[in-house]
Amino acid sequence: MMDENASARLMRRTLTVAHRVVLFLAMLVICLPGIWIVLSSLRPTVEIMAKPPVWIPQELSFDAYVAMFSGIGKGGIPVLDYFRNSLIISVTSTVIAVAIGMAGGYAFARYRFRGKSGMFLGLMLTRTVPGIAMSLPLFFVYARLGIIDTHFGMILAYVALNIPFTIWLIDGFFRQVPKDLAEAAQIDGCTRWQAFWQVEFPLARPGIASAAIFAFLTCWNEFALASQLTRSVNSKTLPVGLLDYTAEFTIDWRGMCALAVVMIIPALTLTYIVQKHLVGGLTSGAVKG
Amino acid sequence: MKGFKPSAPILLLLPAFVVLAAVVLVPLLLSLYSSFTPFRLTRPETFFVLIGFRNYISILSNPDFWWAFGRTVLLLTIALNLEMLLGLGLAMLVEKAARGQRILRTLMMFPMMFSPILVGFQFKFMFNDNIGLVNNALQSLGITQDAIPWLIESHLAFTAITIAEVWSSTSIFAILILAGLLAMPKEPIEAARVDGCTPWQTFRYVTWPFVMPFAYIAMTIRSLDVARAYDIVKIMTDGGPAGRTELLWTLVGRTAYSDARMGLANAMAYFSILLSIAFTVYFYNKLAAARAQIGAEW
Repeated sequence: MMDENASARLMRRTLTVAHRVVLFLAMLVICLPGIWIVLSSLRPTVEIMAKPPVWIPQELSFDAYVAMFSGIGKGGIPVLDYFRNSLIISVTSTVIAVAIGMAGGYAFARYRFRGKSGMFLGLMLTRTVPGIAMSLPLFFVYARLGIIDTHFGMILAYVALNIPFTIWLIDGFFRQVPKDLAEAAQIDGCTRWQAFWQVEFPLARPGIASAAIFAFLTCWNEFALASQLTRSVNSKTLPVGLLDYTAEFTIDWRGMCALAVVMIIPALTLTYIVQKHLVGGLTSGAVKG
Repeated sequence: MKGFKPSAPILLLLPAFVVLAAVVLVPLLLSLYSSFTPFRLTRPETFFVLIGFRNYISILSNPDFWWAFGRTVLLLTIALNLEMLLGLGLAMLVEKAARGQRILRTLMMFPMMFSPILVGFQFKFMFNDNIGLVNNALQSLGITQDAIPWLIESHLAFTAITIAEVWSSTSIFAILILAGLLAMPKEPIEAARVDGCTPWQTFRYVTWPFVMPFAYIAMTIRSLDVARAYDIVKIMTDGGPAGRTELLWTLVGRTAYSDARMGLANAMAYFSILLSIAFTVYFYNKLAAARAQIGAEW
């Protein structure tokens, strides 16, 4: 009897340890690439290129970042312009996409109408068109209209890119707000419009904020469309700018790593803020249907 | 007659439809038309010459296209299955963790924040044959003396791309499946244990059916976005060596912009669109079915 207990306890302890080890390894694999990029951006090029490899960094410096932001002269790549373009394009198209998405999401969450699920699937299908396939006709149309390499053209494309998913998310968040609340407000004398802004909107606001951040990240990270519809510092975004480093014969690994870090920091912060709501919004329809 | 008065939902959806029609639908119709012309960017007059199905015929008889198509489907099949399995494993590991769940969840989402282009770059850096982390580690540990040409040899390059793809998207599966595990009622599991189910049986017949809709949501989201592999491949190998890692999407890009053969590229693009739609509709239906099953059981 004692023996059986002891072996069961041993078994459980082994399992716990194994669980911890596997978990640690998994997290290591997940985090290592990012850590490596950050580390490389701080090390001198000589150390990155060293053979045999230098594992323990001897000197760390922010030279790569200084060079990158000190204009065209040093790093050779106008990161500041790309940064500004990325910011303008992403913020503007996010605001527009969320406004349109709120209207659409509300319609899907609150009304019953003919062809609803068909329409929903249709919306999603417009999102499946691969960016590169989409870029061909857009390139042609934009060239005709003369809006290639402009902020306006990129914003227009990104609004369309974001609408389907924004509607999906916002639909989920409005569904979590009980219908009765708005109805009660209307009985108390609110118009439907007032009921929406004073009762339903405040409750769904965290969710809508996450939809906005998600849309922002999609724009911030998009590459396939941007690489064809932008030409110069007028509208090139950061992801396209990253490719500037590989276009040359010798790749400036340290510079690239530094730019990668600059790109990832806003994304990291924003995703951290919204992670909880994001999962809730995506899965709200999972079980209820 | 008071005239036509559209209903509220239609009015609310109108802006979305207008934008999508202008930016997606009309250009797509245009590209459908141009896939029946020998259109070249350098010669605008070719836009008005109709050549019937000749573009499609030349694509279908082109082995390069079929290789790219097959490779794309292979990559998606391997990557999606691996992501699903690893995501499930990761979610269960994190759910079992007694402490630090919050921080583990945040760490788990880490790859989601990387744009595909960054993922491509970061793995291009790590798999570099000369200075990459992978080769450096292998050499320092004495496993191999040579620099393994990860991105230069065709099978290795395909493997490297798959690894990058799986790394970047496993967390979407993990996070959504974890949401499912956390939302799951505990009684059925206890009931199963009392009834003498083995852990495997409990997982297979109780946990899995409940988590399945969440997995299919992840699949649907992923399939909306399968073409993001384009960014990864574009920066890691750009379809090389000698077209050995060319996917459908990089082939479309090359035909359109490097060879300037827009008509032909549009015809190819239609295949890639159909592929994406097939994936999405398939998983959307699976999602609906899984949902219905759960609704019936709980």
